[in-house]
Amino acid sequence: MTTYLQGHIVDESIEFTLVELSQVSGASEEELTLWVSEGVFEPKGERPQEWRFSGAALQRVRTAQRLARDFEINPPGVALVLDLLDEIDSLRSRAKRLRGG
Amino acid sequence: MKYKDYYQTLNVERDASQEDVKRSYRKLARKYHPDVSKLPDAEDRFKELGEAYDVLGDPEKRAAYDRMGSEWRNGQDFEPPPNWDEGFEFRGAGNQAGGQPDFHDIFEKMFGGAHGAHARQRPVDARGEDHHAKVLIDLEDSYRGAQRSISLQVPVMDAQGHVSLETRTLNVTIPKGIRAGQHLRLSGQGGAGTTLGTAGDLYLEIAFREHPRFQVDGRDVSLELPVAPWEAALGAQIAVPTPDGSVEMTVPAGSSGGRRLRLKGKGVPASQPGDLYVILNIVLPPADSDSAKAAYGAMQQAFNFDPRAHFYR
Repeated sequence: MTTYLQGHIVDESIEFTLVELSQVSGASEEELTLWVSEGVFEPKGERPQEWRFSGAALQRVRTAQRLARDFEINPPGVALVLDLLDEIDSLRSRAKRLRGG
Repeated sequence: MKYKDYYQTLNVERDASQEDVKRSYRKLARKYHPDVSKLPDAEDRFKELGEAYDVLGDPEKRAAYDRMGSEWRNGQDFEPPPNWDEGFEFRGAGNQAGGQPDFHDIFEKMFGGAHGAHARQRPVDARGEDHHAKVLIDLEDSYRGAQRSISLQVPVMDAQGHVSLETRTLNVTIPKGIRAGQHLRLSGQGGAGTTLGTAGDLYLEIAFREHPRFQVDGRDVSLELPVAPWEAALGAQIAVPTPDGSVEMTVPAGSSGGRRLRLKGKGVPASQPGDLYVILNIVLPPADSDSAKAAYGAMQQAFNFDPRAHFYR
């Protein structure tokens, strides 16, 4: 009989500390801290040791990390690209809706 | 072994300067980066670019690559000429520090698709690395939950540091309600740790396959529904397909084409389920028989209707 692995959806119900998010995403703690200071992510908590990141942020962190690595973009640049990508996404789905209608 | 024409991949001439190689790489990378591009083959193209730039972007590796000769064509079977690597002193960038430079390793790096498989230095008794992979699932799998076999390409490094790709098959339960962009964490399925029970986790980033009928936007799903003119005008009860069976929907009388009707909670069935939007598309029956023509004629008589009444202003 085949056994199937049971996974957990990483959603809003899951929280990561800075150390955990670094391990999970492959981004360094320094990078993550710089991105937070640019407002790319808004963890709960005051000091870095108290930060709690929502599981829903993981996709954004991964994207940030790939952009930073592949294009050597500095933190303000990463913040700008992520904002622009969000905007393109919402424009794309709006365009899709208009075409459908 | 197949020859890969890295110059062709990066769209530069063989005598291009390092600056030109870099510029062309960056330009193509921006175009095909999987986070930016929506082209279906973006991911593969980007990997090829990375591999080509790994070699041509480094003057030493480029010189070694040029030694293969320029008469090879992309995809052609070839054997590297003997002593192709003679007389090159590699700085060892990307190579393990210390020891003699391993030409074979560099050669594999050039042709073995090893891009991105870097062995990271880790403290001795650390937990294994967390791994990531992207998987495509059907929208129906998220509506119902499913059990799927997933094949992943895994770079494997042997004791000599040579990298090859192995296929790993995982049987995975797709939980109901998972959305595109979310990650599914599989505990202990990542990189091996140094001791038992310390393996990292595997994170599967979920994306939906394109569906011919349904469009997904986060939790919400939309669908274009063809309706007859009289169904839109007089109202109707219509069976609407959803990714999990069909539901009865009331089309209100006097609906116009393009009207969006919301079926609450019929989107992706997450803890807070999304909605299903049904967009009415009025389809005209063809006037291809005498009775059909007569019916259109009767409509013309019955209505004092000018569709362009408010058209010109």
